[in-house]
Amino acid sequence: MTRLRDAWRTHVPLPTSVVLIVAAIYVALKLVRPVIPGSVILLYMGFVIAGATIHVTLDDARIRRFLDFFVEVSGREPRAIRAQRWALLAVIPLVLGWWVYDALRPKYAPPVEIFQRHPTVGEEVLKRVTVPAWAADPAKWRAEDVAVGKRLYEANCAVCHGEKLDGQGPAAEGFRYPIRPANFTDAGTIAQLTLPYVYWRLTVGGIQNQFNSAMPKWTASDAEPDASTLHSNDLTSDEAWKVILYIYRGSGFEPRRE
Amino acid sequence: MAADSANRSRWRGTLRAACLVASLFCTAAWAQGSDPGDYPTIAGINSRLAVWIAAQLHLMFAAFVLAVPMFAVFIEFLGWRAEKTDRVAARRHDWLAHEMASLLPVAYSLTAITGALLGFLLFTAYPKFMHHLTGVFGPTFIVYPLFFVAETLCLYFWYYGWHRWQGDKKWFHLLLGLALNVFGTIVMFIADAWATYMMTPAGVTEQGALVSLYDAVWNPGWMPLNIHRLVANVTFGALLCSAYAAYRLLLSDDARERALYDWMGYTGNLIALFTMLFLPFAGYYFGFELFAFSATYGVTLMGGVLSWLFIIQAIVIAVLFIGAAYYSWLGLLRIPGSEAQQRWSPVFNVLLIAGFAVWATPHTMAASIEESTGGFHPVLGALGVMAPKMIAVTLVLVVLYASYLLYRRAGRVPTVGWARTGTTVEWGLVGLMAVTIAALGIFGYFAPAHIRIKTSIWQIYVLIGGIAATFFLDQALLRGAKTVAAVRWGTMPRRGQYVLVLLAVVIVWLMGLMGYARSGARLNWHVFGIMEDTSPNAGLPSLGEAALVITLITAIFFALLAVAFAVAGMARGTDERALVELSPQGEPQ
Repeated sequence: MTRLRDAWRTHVPLPTSVVLIVAAIYVALKLVRPVIPGSVILLYMGFVIAGATIHVTLDDARIRRFLDFFVEVSGREPRAIRAQRWALLAVIPLVLGWWVYDALRPKYAPPVEIFQRHPTVGEEVLKRVTVPAWAADPAKWRAEDVAVGKRLYEANCAVCHGEKLDGQGPAAEGFRYPIRPANFTDAGTIAQLTLPYVYWRLTVGGIQNQFNSAMPKWTASDAEPDASTLHSNDLTSDEAWKVILYIYRGSGFEPRRE
Repeated sequence: MAADSANRSRWRGTLRAACLVASLFCTAAWAQGSDPGDYPTIAGINSRLAVWIAAQLHLMFAAFVLAVPMFAVFIEFLGWRAEKTDRVAARRHDWLAHEMASLLPVAYSLTAITGALLGFLLFTAYPKFMHHLTGVFGPTFIVYPLFFVAETLCLYFWYYGWHRWQGDKKWFHLLLGLALNVFGTIVMFIADAWATYMMTPAGVTEQGALVSLYDAVWNPGWMPLNIHRLVANVTFGALLCSAYAAYRLLLSDDARERALYDWMGYTGNLIALFTMLFLPFAGYYFGFELFAFSATYGVTLMGGVLSWLFIIQAIVIAVLFIGAAYYSWLGLLRIPGSEAQQRWSPVFNVLLIAGFAVWATPHTMAASIEESTGGFHPVLGALGVMAPKMIAVTLVLVVLYASYLLYRRAGRVPTVGWARTGTTVEWGLVGLMAVTIAALGIFGYFAPAHIRIKTSIWQIYVLIGGIAATFFLDQALLRGAKTVAAVRWGTMPRRGQYVLVLLAVVIVWLMGLMGYARSGARLNWHVFGIMEDTSPNAGLPSLGEAALVITLITAIFFALLAVAFAVAGMARGTDERALVELSPQGEPQ
């Protein structure tokens, strides 16, 4: 092991090792499928480069080893070492140059979207949502209400959110950007939310407003249950609550308590 | 000495003049811009922005003047206790406490100036809101200045009476320092009541009429914020003191002076690191209470409009922890014969970087249209939720603590008979702590939300329990240990000093960021759910705008702090004999 390490140190100087490791991590991140967004790769690479800088500067001898590689030209070094020096002196500026060019060149794609998973809503709006007594306590949810919710869900929601509530409905792939239909089995969605919020989200939707998601507005007033907003089969208030009961029961989560 | 005194007077004069000019400007502005509405404009400036800057600056100086006396008095106490056993160490601790305290008088003036500016802005630009606040908190508005005056008196007598009350009278000096801390803490607690009432109001009717002042003060967010600020302030003050030590060390050509300031920087960083261990949990506690008060806070802060601040926060906290750890690894270079410990630094480096990469992974990712996988990445998305982040951050804390244990061991050989067994048990416990934390986190990941919260709390218990057990074991192990290589104070590489300055900048920026998050989370409310903010400027800025304002606040703060540093530096001359005697030597302390 020690011999192998010594051989590596002899033939691959510290700067080459550092560049190889940084490049290998970058390539590995780039190879992950589905692709990792550039913003996240940038974040990771920031950490990697910080780690590499710390590693090189942990002691003075190592800093010298790193820098001397670039400045010491004795003419007696093996050809492989010299080749590495010139390769790095060429590659590092080229990479940096490409990075700057890539950042500045005109692009025609829409800008990177910073999406809010749970749109912010005012307290005063949520206060107006009254949770019916029969829906308020998960321990008292009736099986028949959940069953009605399941039927409504499968008829209206499953096409996007999936029969298994996993966001993998047949139409889900059509909504890749900026956000696909929510996966209710993921701990980061309904498990984090209170009943009034989920009701608000369901009945306000996203397509008509700034929330920038394809979620339709599922609502109809109790007075006019057949009145249409976007869809012809909108849900009444009771129906909306039953759907909510089902997505919680079906996903195994409970609503966050207020 | 006379020159020093003249310098001090000159600086105090300048500050008074600045205060006067600011008051005149404000009065003139008020005269021009006041109108009878709920939100009069002051000389056409953006009131919200002005209050934001003034409040944050005031908070930062207040944090500094509250925190520094805490550890300065503690260090002074350590020196007093060592008086009989090690006079040099006692004097060195006394010097350090005084050195830290020397930053306080000017910082105190700046706290008062920024506080006065904030009060003026609030009363003139938000009269309706302040009318409500004084209606609820009237009695505290009377008590507050009294405690402030008491704190001020204690500070000035404590600082300027330092050399007078030495020897037999030291106990009195320490008592003054203790009173200073008590009054300072009360002042902060009172101000916290106002700030948290705005977030989690209690003790009033829905129309805002006072029912119980006690409940309004002891509102749900009050004690969590008190605790969070107490811990964070100590980290903040310690890192600023470290930056001061770095500044002095970098300026100094004298090896003995460098040794002292190196030791001061090390002590400050150690205090900061120790308190930072508890900071995430104090933050969680505060967040937990906010969420319990209103789910809207949970949504706004964690999933909604302010959620991206926490990704930025995660990165900034990572810089803070990695920087502090890097400084401590560089510190091993001061200790000849610490090669065995130095070997671990690269390993810890990789662990910290990996841990923070997980910690900063967003759950919902910013993506271009080509990259988008619908906001949630099927591979990395799993790292974006609470359970893996808790594993990552708690293990990072284990690594930091392990760095500290190694540092203590550098250059020392235990002499107790059970050294080998003790060391094995000690590191076995550290390993067990890490494994248990990871196991709890993995279990919590697959468990329902209400169980996951409990596993997170257990992770914290395991961490604190593990640290406590190994800390005392380490103390026993190293009792009477043989020092084989003395610490060469003052030989720390210069880059270590720049790291200390960087850490100070980072903590100030971070405090600005979180101050904005805390205040911004109220959204369109002065007092959440009770009194709405209907002013023309009542909107949240974009992330970019917010970052610019926070950066501006940081720049102003450091410009003002530079004045405090310069005054503290001018206020003393180098006492040659003292330096020779006080230069620290020996083991890590």
